Amino acid sequence: MSSIIIASDSPETGRRIADETAKFLGYTYMDPEDVLSAVATKRNLDKDKLKKVLDTLPSSFGRTSRVWRQWLAFIQEATLGRLMEDQMVCHGLAAHLYVMGVSHILKVRIITSEMERLQILASQRDISADKAKKIMKRMEKQRHQWCLQAFQMDETDPSRYDLVISLNQITAKEAVKTIAGVIKYKKFKPMTYSIKCLEDLELESRVRASIIKDHPEASVTARDKTITVKVKTLKRERKKKTAAIKELVGGIDGVDYVEVHFINDIVRQAAESFR
Amino acid sequence: MPEKLKVLVLDDEPIVGKRLKPALSKIGCEVEVFEEPKSALTRIEEKEFDIVVTDIRMDEIDGMEVLDYVAKRWPRTKVVMITGYAMMALAREAMEKGAFDFIAKPFKPDDLRRVIAKAAKALGRPIDFDTDSK
Repeated sequence: MSSIIIASDSPETGRRIADETAKFLGYTYMDPEDVLSAVATKRNLDKDKLKKVLDTLPSSFGRTSRVWRQWLAFIQEATLGRLMEDQMVCHGLAAHLYVMGVSHILKVRIITSEMERLQILASQRDISADKAKKIMKRMEKQRHQWCLQAFQMDETDPSRYDLVISLNQITAKEAVKTIAGVIKYKKFKPMTYSIKCLEDLELESRVRASIIKDHPEASVTARDKTITVKVKTLKRERKKKTAAIKELVGGIDGVDYVEVHFINDIVRQAAESFR
Repeated sequence: MPEKLKVLVLDDEPIVGKRLKPALSKIGCEVEVFEEPKSALTRIEEKEFDIVVTDIRMDEIDGMEVLDYVAKRWPRTKVVMITGYAMMALAREAMEKGAFDFIAKPFKPDDLRRVIAKAAKALGRPIDFDTDSK
């Protein structure tokens, strides 16, 4: 069955709408806390630090950008795994930035009024409206940079969504009803193709999560259980790298075949030629 | 003996019909294969098929037009779209127009057999094929 991903400029409002939409439709609300707990347990990570990956840039994360990417890949893997279940409502896991091209997943953006966001921020931090305004501007800029660094995307671009709802004019309750109405459109019904697209994304994320530690620069694509890994390397290392990647990926559940493609690492090649 | 499921397959690439005919006959379907959309529409006009499997991108008449035609002429018939140019927008358009399913090429015969079995179940005429494995 269909699922819904909700993104918002206000995490609190996005969460509330996601939760209410799930209740209204009888769908399951994918609580980000549960997903993060599961990842933290599985990977033996500190949950609070893991949570920070979703709103902190690598520069202020306190660990290397390599670790930041790894942990992000773990969250992606877990989120996509949950989206394989039917009738989910997902919010707060940045899924709108990495779940692409799956026609039975409705992507919604909720826009709240600046005033409402300011009020929430001011009351959360017990600060003046002026100070809240300055902080909010800084947070918006940081969020924009986060989206670019993590997924090279602008999440405020409306063309990335199936439905954009402004709460300036309609109430949260009406928004929930609108989302519930839209998800019933025939076009959001799962079909063989869309299920395969989601399966490919999920498998891709599992493979990436498995190899990212040893091959952080590798790009992974999955199609019909065939995995293609593209990796930068020197000519003389190809054989060794192919064997290592095939061993890592070949044993992953759902993988039938692994192909390794190489991009010549011209930087390392040039560096070595000057030695 | 139950009546066989009547299936029409339309694809302008001869190899598709050649492969699908035996694959579907194996699960008890009576299959007619067409490469020309016009001849397929003529046949659809005179005979009510249970399932129509059509390619989308074809010369003269495309699969979406076939879908519209079938939906008007025989609303009970399930239409399965197959295409080598699968994209989300096209898939959604097909579903909105009433397609039963949408499959990207290349696919395995079992993928289509599974969809045919689901369509048969939806028509109230289940056939012997495992539809729950997916």
